[in-house]
Amino acid sequence: MPTAFTASRRAVLLGAAATLAAPRIGGAQPAAIRLGILQPVTGALAQDGEYGRLGAELAIQEINATGGIRALGGAQIQMVFGDARSTPEGGTAEVERMNSEGVVAIVGGFASPIALAASQAASRYDLPYVVDVGVSDAIVTRGLRNTFRFGPGFGAVTGAALDNLVTLNNAAGRPARTVVVVHEDGLFGSGMARLMQQQLPQRGFEILETISHPTPARDMSNIALRIRALNPDLIIPSSYYAEFVLLSQTLQQRRIRPKGIYCVLNGAASNFRFVREFPQAANLVMDVNHWADPRKPRTAELRRQVEATNRFWLYNTPLNYSAVMLVADALERAGRADRNAVIEALAATDGRFTRHIMPYGPTRFVNGQNQSAQAVNTQVIDNDIKVIFPTDFADARPVFPWPSI
Amino acid sequence: MSTRDLVPILVFAAVAALLPVFVTANTWLNFAVFTLIICLAAQGWNILGGYGGQYSFGHAAFFGTAAYATAILQVRYGVNPYLGFGFGIAAAAVVGWIIGALSFRSGLRGSYFALVTLAFAEVFRVLANASEMTGGAAGILIRLDVRPENFQFASRATFYWIALALVVAALVVTRALERSRLGAQLVAVRENESAARALGVDALQVKLSAIALSAAITGAAGALYAQYFLYLDANIAYGTWISVEALLAPIIGGAGTVFGPVLGGIILHGLSEFTKSLVGRIPGVDLVIFGILLIVVVRFPPREIPGLIRMWRGRR
Repeated sequence: MPTAFTASRRAVLLGAAATLAAPRIGGAQPAAIRLGILQPVTGALAQDGEYGRLGAELAIQEINATGGIRALGGAQIQMVFGDARSTPEGGTAEVERMNSEGVVAIVGGFASPIALAASQAASRYDLPYVVDVGVSDAIVTRGLRNTFRFGPGFGAVTGAALDNLVTLNNAAGRPARTVVVVHEDGLFGSGMARLMQQQLPQRGFEILETISHPTPARDMSNIALRIRALNPDLIIPSSYYAEFVLLSQTLQQRRIRPKGIYCVLNGAASNFRFVREFPQAANLVMDVNHWADPRKPRTAELRRQVEATNRFWLYNTPLNYSAVMLVADALERAGRADRNAVIEALAATDGRFTRHIMPYGPTRFVNGQNQSAQAVNTQVIDNDIKVIFPTDFADARPVFPWPSI
Repeated sequence: MSTRDLVPILVFAAVAALLPVFVTANTWLNFAVFTLIICLAAQGWNILGGYGGQYSFGHAAFFGTAAYATAILQVRYGVNPYLGFGFGIAAAAVVGWIIGALSFRSGLRGSYFALVTLAFAEVFRVLANASEMTGGAAGILIRLDVRPENFQFASRATFYWIALALVVAALVVTRALERSRLGAQLVAVRENESAARALGVDALQVKLSAIALSAAITGAAGALYAQYFLYLDANIAYGTWISVEALLAPIIGGAGTVFGPVLGGIILHGLSEFTKSLVGRIPGVDLVIFGILLIVVVRFPPREIPGLIRMWRGRR
């Protein structure tokens, strides 16, 4: 009697083999994970945004080339890029688009205003947001569970700047006792100057004068002459790129040579553009800023990759590279491309996350802020930017006080 | 003002109000809210620049004042956000009146008036950047607490309807002004101030009323911006970007017309989004195409969209 289902032994075996193989075939090609990269690549912050994007791209390339996200069957990461156009509303609009395109997390923002607005927009969708650079302390004090910052905030940077200055000075036999603070007259510079006025006398430094200048400033001659008259041991400038370049050039032209120039979050002193274009003015300038860990082999490889494309090695690249690696690590631990699971995994990140290249200790997030994040002291030595402090991460010894010519 | 005058505005309001019913994607609603905020700022400029002929390059002064007033009152003094919103608009009107009194009393007109308004906006920007009250360069953040009583809404559609209501209110005010004695006097001042004076029009008073009203409407846009994005700094609040946006939309859409700023705002931002989607992911190219299209629109007289429509109709 014919039956509805007739099958030979071979067909049954083939079918069974196919059924067994199916998940493996499916597992070999898991759906790509979409990751939002938000950077301002047009407008006033375009240069920083481009370097941030580069860092994220290099991290994604590396993750995909080394087997993707293993916990998700080797899923590849697909970048969904958004141009924040250097404005908070531009950043918000891109977050909305990225959300509609189903990204699992967003990395970037660069400037604090963009990071503040974009992370807030992302919080509406429980969309994990990892800030790359923005240092405003307000970013991680709003109670947003989706927002994380791998790098240090303003408070941590300035605290470290003062402590490191004392250590540096003491180690050199306290050559610096008198200081002139030069600052731009906005809140960034004024706030920094106020902090210095409060803290430096407690740490044994005498502030001879605090000199403010507007941004933009076209001439620094008067400030340079005043500095010459005061003859301080140390100059502490808090200015943006153009103004600091102008100041350091004017000091050099007028042969004003203190025992050191010590910057904090300076727009130029940790920027290879300044070092390449004005090597003499940049020589031996110290800064406290974000910088990659020079001891990690991957840092040197990444720097070679960046410089091979005729681009400068700026801190935006390693910060974004590390932030993308952080998300990849969270995805591995979450085991699924689910936003809430990624938020929980990000919050639980610990010292086992070592795929980053920043000079930080074991990662630990409290209210979204990585507690081990720190700025480092850099110094321009032999046309290169070297880390001079903390000594654990240093690749050069500080040249302080500056040798006389 | 007759009921007939209101029909086009009501039709626009009804059609626009239905948008969130058909377009639920937050990407588009966010775009629509931002476009409406710009339309509102432009409507403010249109009162003074379009009807009054007093071209201001510094409407950021009003936008920023209302935005900061709303934010500061909430953050520093715990004032109810709705009340803060009202205070913000009033503060912008007062600033508008003061700037008007200082410049119009000095007899400033044309490009001189434009430069003075630009200077005022810059002074405000520098002051806001240096003042502790405004949070200086670090900016001021309105605490995220999504509740209707905080003027924060979980749905972008709610914000869209509020922005639309304000734009419609500004349209009604503009139409009422057009039909009022003040509106007629304002147009008279624009066309020939000396002749208007000769006919007994108090030009100074007319211009002061116009600038206060204009500042209040642009201020409403600033307060709405603060409430929507919950963050302000000096460059956002008093930056030249908003002054340019506020004057560009009416110039493109038709200065001195009721719907001109709204039309211009929608066209400008629609064009910007269109060019963005056209070129995909190559950053900056959309801005280049947008700039070229803008030059094309502005270059060929009659210089605004209604003028172009009239020209095409005439040819047919």
